Amino acid sequence: MIVPLGRRSPIHFRWLAPSLYIAFMLLPLLPVIYISFHSTLRGSDLPVGTFTLSNYLHIAQNEDLVAAIFSSVSYVLFNILITIPVALPAAYAFSRYSFVGDKHLFLGFLALRMTPPVVMIFPVFQVFSAVGLINTPLAIALAHCLFNIPIAIWVLEGFISSIPREIDETAFIDGYSFPRFFMRKLIPLMAPGIAVAAFFCFLFSWVEVVFARILTVTSGKPISMAISALFSFKTDVGLVMAMTVFSIVPGALLIYFVRNHIAKGFMIAQVK
Amino acid sequence: MAKALDNRAWLLVLPALVILAFVAIIPLLTTVNYSFHDIFSQDYKFWVGAEWYREILGSARFWGSFGRSLLFSTIILLIEIPLGIYIAIQMPKRSLWVAVCLVMMSLPLLVPWNIIPMIWKTFISPAYLGGAFSAIGIDFNWKAEVIDTWFAIVLMDVWHWTSLVVLLCYSGLTTIPAAYYNAAAIDRASRWAVLRYIELPKLSSVLMMAILLRFMDSFMIYTEAFRLNAGGPGYSTTFMAMELGEDIFAFNYGPAAARSVICFIIILTVSWLFKTALAIQQADSVSSTLSSTAEARP
Repeated sequence: MIVPLGRRSPIHFRWLAPSLYIAFMLLPLLPVIYISFHSTLRGSDLPVGTFTLSNYLHIAQNEDLVAAIFSSVSYVLFNILITIPVALPAAYAFSRYSFVGDKHLFLGFLALRMTPPVVMIFPVFQVFSAVGLINTPLAIALAHCLFNIPIAIWVLEGFISSIPREIDETAFIDGYSFPRFFMRKLIPLMAPGIAVAAFFCFLFSWVEVVFARILTVTSGKPISMAISALFSFKTDVGLVMAMTVFSIVPGALLIYFVRNHIAKGFMIAQVK
Repeated sequence: MAKALDNRAWLLVLPALVILAFVAIIPLLTTVNYSFHDIFSQDYKFWVGAEWYREILGSARFWGSFGRSLLFSTIILLIEIPLGIYIAIQMPKRSLWVAVCLVMMSLPLLVPWNIIPMIWKTFISPAYLGGAFSAIGIDFNWKAEVIDTWFAIVLMDVWHWTSLVVLLCYSGLTTIPAAYYNAAAIDRASRWAVLRYIELPKLSSVLMMAILLRFMDSFMIYTEAFRLNAGGPGYSTTFMAMELGEDIFAFNYGPAAARSVICFIIILTVSWLFKTALAIQQADSVSSTLSSTAEARP
């Protein structure tokens, strides 16, 4: 065991910076959480400012909000189900082979990830309405592929490149066909990678609002739009805040589950 | 290790390409087509050539918003990248606390983007931060004062996105073998030397990605800034994407398309610069590895 001589900083100082940073991250959320547990609407049974769980109960009673939760969850799931199956072979190709135009393709994918939705909304709306996709969760799921496919390819490539190439070679020598190798060997090895890629798809799809707004004209509104729609002449701020808290919870749970693998996804740095 | 050259790999990329063609390439071509037309309705449009481009590129407003976007991105990078690296380095190593820290830090990343300005409007209102400012004698008026609005937007973006940089840098740091740190400790390297010669070089690729992501997303900031103060006071926080949004929602399809094309050309240029920088960096690291192995031989 080698004692680090050069680093004399006391242990308790190490805690200061992350603690202050986390405090800064949590501070703006505190009013949201506080208000979500208090009554805010004048003229209801409860006096304003009473501690209550009724805001959360009201979510379940509000048909629009329940529909919005259902809609958000379904387009995020659709997006993951579209993105992962197409990104996986592409990531394998980028990781294992060099082919004509691979550098240009990489640049193209990169540029698409960087393209903000606001640049695309108008033509995407036209193309999607031409094929009758407007107001469906599938439309949002497809539109979000714009940034999620490049990200998933990037994350999955890092994971595939960390798998030794000998595994592929032995499998092919053992007589595995390519699809069988993919299903039986690669995907089980890639399980954490797929989880992380799916997590990033969830993350970017869940928070995106520009496509989600423009592609749902009359129905299929996601959570973000449903919250906006709550603002009116007489806004129930407590309900708005409860819904906001509710929108953060699934992501926080997912981060907790994939936390040990997130780091590995970006190992592209070491292998590329 | 060289990768095998095999053009059949295109077949593996094909499914991803087909979907991206539908959601990105076809719409982009439509945009390019529209940008040369004056559009009154679907069936009623005129060819106007490069008219929209001339109008936009010749207008002081466009260059004003371009300059503001550039300034905003610069400020954001100067704050978020060093802060992100610092926090990632200070993160507790391998313990239960890492999980707790990661989850708590990531909360802002999980909030839908149109909700973020709402949270911040509440937070900077006189009931909370605004009140704290006036208590210490600072008159904070983010609705009317240019500096205060900029401060609010920058702070909001730092809050929203720094954790992504932390997450990326932290993942890069975990791949540095303990042997490097031990060697540095034997050499009695200072903390600064460890950062300069071990951590930053090892982080360089992830860091490039973080810089690119943060640059593009802040350069094209739309929802958050728009909902905070609608580009005001005056035009002082009107960024490039907000002018584009204005054109779209005013149904000025021709100019909107031209603006989209200009934005996309900027994105392509920046991505290309980034890719070139990455290639140079990798060539450097390969040659330095080669030379160090050569030196290591007796």
